[in-house]
Amino acid sequence: MIVLAAINWHSFFFLFFALVACAAAMGVLFSSNVVRMAAYLILSLASTAGLFFLAGAEFVGAMQIMIYVGGTLVLLIFGVMLTAQATFVSMKTRAGEWVVAGVVGGTLFFLLAQAALSVDQWRTPRTDQAELAAIESKTSAPLGLGLIGVRVDKLHQADERLKQGMSGYVLPFEIISVHLLVVLVGAAYLARTKKRMTDVKAEGGRKV
Amino acid sequence: MELLPEILGWAVLLPLISFVVIFLAGPRMGKAGSLAGWVATLAIVSSCFLSLCVAFPIWLVHHWPHDASHGAVAQHDTDGEHDTDEDHDAPAHHDDGNTDGGHAENDHQRQQQAAGGDHDKRASQQRHDEVAERDSSNGETDHAENAVPLITGDWYELGRFGPLRLTIGFYIDSLTVCMFCMVTLIASCIHFYAMGYMRDELHDFEDPEVTMSDGSQLIRPGRYHRFFQAMSLFSFSMLGLVISGNVAMTFVFWELVGICSYFLIGFYVERTSASTAANKAFIVNRVGDFGMIIGMMAIWASLGTFAFGDIDGQSGIFSLVRPESSQHALVVPDGMVVSGAKSEVGELVDSLPAGTSPEEMDAAIAANIPQWRDPEATGLKGGYGYWLLVIAGIGIFCGCVGKSAQFPLHVWLPDAMEGPTPVSALVHSATMVAAGVYLVARFYPVFAPEVLLVIAVTGCITLFLAATIAITATDIKRVLAYSTVSQLGYMMMALGVGGWLAGTLHLFTHAFFKSLLFMCSGSVIHGVHTNELPLMGGLRHKMPYTAYTMLIGCLAIAGAGLPFVIGFSGYYSKDAILEQALLFGNVNPGFGKFFFFAAAGGAAITAFYMFRLWYLTFAGEPRDPHRYDHAHESPPVMIRPLLVLSVFAVAVAWPIPGPSLSNLLEQSRPAGTLADTPAVLVNMVWPNERDSHASAIKIPATLIAFSTALAGFLLATVMYCWKKLDAEDVRRQFAPIHRFLINKWWFDELYESVFIKPTLWKAKLFAAFDRNCIDWLVDNLALSVRRFAVVWEYVGDRTIVDGFVDKLAAVTYSTAVSMRRIQTGSLRTYVVSIVVGMVIVFVLVSWGYTWAS
Amino acid sequence: MNPLTSPVGVSHYLLVGAVLFVTGVVCMATKRNTLGILMGIELVLNGANVNFVAFGSSYLRESSLGLDGQFFALFVIVLAAAEAAVALAIALNFYNNHATIDVDQADELKG
Repeated sequence: MIVLAAINWHSFFFLFFALVACAAAMGVLFSSNVVRMAAYLILSLASTAGLFFLAGAEFVGAMQIMIYVGGTLVLLIFGVMLTAQATFVSMKTRAGEWVVAGVVGGTLFFLLAQAALSVDQWRTPRTDQAELAAIESKTSAPLGLGLIGVRVDKLHQADERLKQGMSGYVLPFEIISVHLLVVLVGAAYLARTKKRMTDVKAEGGRKV
Repeated sequence: MELLPEILGWAVLLPLISFVVIFLAGPRMGKAGSLAGWVATLAIVSSCFLSLCVAFPIWLVHHWPHDASHGAVAQHDTDGEHDTDEDHDAPAHHDDGNTDGGHAENDHQRQQQAAGGDHDKRASQQRHDEVAERDSSNGETDHAENAVPLITGDWYELGRFGPLRLTIGFYIDSLTVCMFCMVTLIASCIHFYAMGYMRDELHDFEDPEVTMSDGSQLIRPGRYHRFFQAMSLFSFSMLGLVISGNVAMTFVFWELVGICSYFLIGFYVERTSASTAANKAFIVNRVGDFGMIIGMMAIWASLGTFAFGDIDGQSGIFSLVRPESSQHALVVPDGMVVSGAKSEVGELVDSLPAGTSPEEMDAAIAANIPQWRDPEATGLKGGYGYWLLVIAGIGIFCGCVGKSAQFPLHVWLPDAMEGPTPVSALVHSATMVAAGVYLVARFYPVFAPEVLLVIAVTGCITLFLAATIAITATDIKRVLAYSTVSQLGYMMMALGVGGWLAGTLHLFTHAFFKSLLFMCSGSVIHGVHTNELPLMGGLRHKMPYTAYTMLIGCLAIAGAGLPFVIGFSGYYSKDAILEQALLFGNVNPGFGKFFFFAAAGGAAITAFYMFRLWYLTFAGEPRDPHRYDHAHESPPVMIRPLLVLSVFAVAVAWPIPGPSLSNLLEQSRPAGTLADTPAVLVNMVWPNERDSHASAIKIPATLIAFSTALAGFLLATVMYCWKKLDAEDVRRQFAPIHRFLINKWWFDELYESVFIKPTLWKAKLFAAFDRNCIDWLVDNLALSVRRFAVVWEYVGDRTIVDGFVDKLAAVTYSTAVSMRRIQTGSLRTYVVSIVVGMVIVFVLVSWGYTWAS
Repeated sequence: MNPLTSPVGVSHYLLVGAVLFVTGVVCMATKRNTLGILMGIELVLNGANVNFVAFGSSYLRESSLGLDGQFFALFVIVLAAAEAAVALAIALNFYNNHATIDVDQADELKG
């Protein structure tokens, strides 16, 4: 019971969400059924949202769930549906490719982990845990205001050099908006209904 | 008087303008170019008119010649007195029936007396009018004989090279004026004559002497205008030569007449004989010109001027050689002395102290000149520079040898008869060949007595040589050609023995009667279409005009006349020559006599062959009946000039008181030549020409002349008219001599073996060298280059260059092929590649960062 | 250090992010299904987002990026959505033309 009292619930939940996210990601990786892959992905993304909440980025977490999980993944699932075939199962990756990918991925992971663990400041948590409660974690309003040019989270910027960035993220915001518009229009055009190839070979689906 | 040079200048230019016009528009002028003849004739007739305008209204008015051959030079004082020395002349001098008078160039005479007494204000005119007094005949002149009445000047300066000025200038004295009149008159007659003679050229002409390779006769288009073009150019050249005022201009026109002669001789250019004759004429002339250039160089190098007369204060050649200071006796000029005394000049300059200025050096040299000129002081015959004077004279004379067909360059004139007869009449009897004699007469003051000796000897040999060949010639024009050569020899000999007036007088008279003779022969040829005497005979019935004008010519050339009374023109001139020759022989016993005998013998032979010619052509029975039947008299356009010229042949030298030909010519006798001149290098004296009119000389000479002419005439008559002596028999009797003569003394063969054959041999040698050595070299060079090219093409081009390029391409291809494998088209591979690359970059950056820090 | 008791630092988040990232990469490298590859892409982006948020979280360290991290995470999410849409359109197009979504069949650019 001492363990229970001494449990840092923050850390506990962090661990929980982290493990779920990683496990689900592994599930995406090793699963061969694309629908199951989608399911695992949802799980992973949702856990990531939890991680976000724990890190104090509640708006981002909310957006993660709304947009990522609720939008993008649904889109993916639609795609899965639209391209459903009986040949799902036969698309297997060869072992050699697994090895190569594994080696490369392992190398990359090793590097990233080494980078992550190399900086001491990152390894140690915040020393003044007491003030943690006072930190404002309602971030949606500041985020919104920052997007339109008012950085209310940094009203008094001491560093003269960083005063330049006080104008916020108006420009990226606009760009992204337009970008989204363009992308959606383009995607809609690209994916318009065209004559589908009806007689389709079963194996490999090669165009005749 | 001021206009005189301009008028004569226009007279010279009119034929040139006609030449240019015909050259540019010839074939289009009139029907087949017949207008060209009229243009040329009009031009020369205008020149004749201008010359006569000069002669009569201008020259005679200003310089009326008195009976000057024995008396004074025409004297023009302001009060117009007559010559004063007629009183002291020796009795035999004033024979009016003798060579005193002359016939003026035209029939109407101006009897004005000394209307000219005006002193011309022209600065460039020199007239020194003085009384020339005479004494007895041995080498003394009492008063200075001064420069002749003349006008000198320059029209245009072409260039200036140091002190030498090359100009287009004139030198006009009475000799010039008379020559103009004579040349233009004869040329006008011949132009009219030629318009008739050359009518064959108005249409396509079939040349009987040219056979094509297939055996047919050549038929070619007519060249009427070309003939008159060349004639106009010739007229221009001849007149330019006569008027020229300096040696360079003379030389230019000298060559021009040579080239016109070439064109005219080679008029029937398709005939090999004609074209080779033209070549021969030009080349032989050039041989003579070589000597002339040497003479010109000697004069220019030592005298520094080419001009004959004094122009604008600068002394001309004549004044330098015969200065006033020595009463116009021949003196080696300063320039020649210095040139001759080069070693002495060198010593003098070396002996001068260093630092003397050029002016002082010149003064020192000039101070020594009289000493160097003195034969006694220097111990050299004639002093320094005399040899140079002699060389200059001989050089100039060489040109005359070529042009006037003297021995040894006489070989071209007989061959020049290949040209049409008007050409022979104008060029090769009256004018061009006379140019040589004219130049000798013009250059007379410059000739040292040694040079005159050379001239006399040459002339003597020539006259004899040509006369002997003429005896045996069978071509009518050849006879006349050799006769021309012989008469030119007469003129040269006359000039050479000191008879300036005799030689020039003979020049004029010869021009008239020789051109008359040639035109008559042309008329004969036109009538019977052959040149050969054996095919003629008895033609006087068919061609009376021709026959009797030719008879007049024959009489003129033989010197026929009533002794001491009157004679044909040739009588006077031949008499003058014989007189001077006899005088020379008297003054120089020994070799001097030889000239007289040669002249007299020549006169006999002349008469003989001329009458032989006449008899064979016009008398006796016709030897070719066919030709005789077809013979016809020439058309009037050809007859009329004959009549005109025969008038002149009779009367041109008649001693008219006042403006007779000899008086006019005497006006331009060079100053200082009426003195007895001893020679320096040989022991001879050139006597005064006036002495030849002494009765002690005149009477024997006239009688001998008359008797030799008569003897020749009689022999010819006996052999060919009365046929008492068979010519064929004589020929057989003297067969070797006849063979020698009829082969022209083997001169052509001699020249061929001495000059032509070695040249051809050398040419063959060089051609063989060229072919075998040089061509071999060049061909083999080319061959080796070709072989090298083939080898290099393989080694260099294919192996190296192509190999390199191919290798490069192969390497690139293989690299590309090997790099194709990267592009698998597989998306997943690309992803892996991205990640691998990222890892590498990451590692590099982090480790590099670590090391750097 | 006991993870349950001691508070977490940034590196823990970074590790999670690394795992997600690498998993996504391997997924992209191995899946033959186009949609599988797309999912791998989503995982990659997700891992990056975790990093961003971790650096921007003031809970985890004093001198954090602050809101900047969250801004970036937002942008990434939006871009991921856009990109997913396009990729899906491409995949559908590909499926319509080739009647298969096997990326190994899309090798017409093979050199």
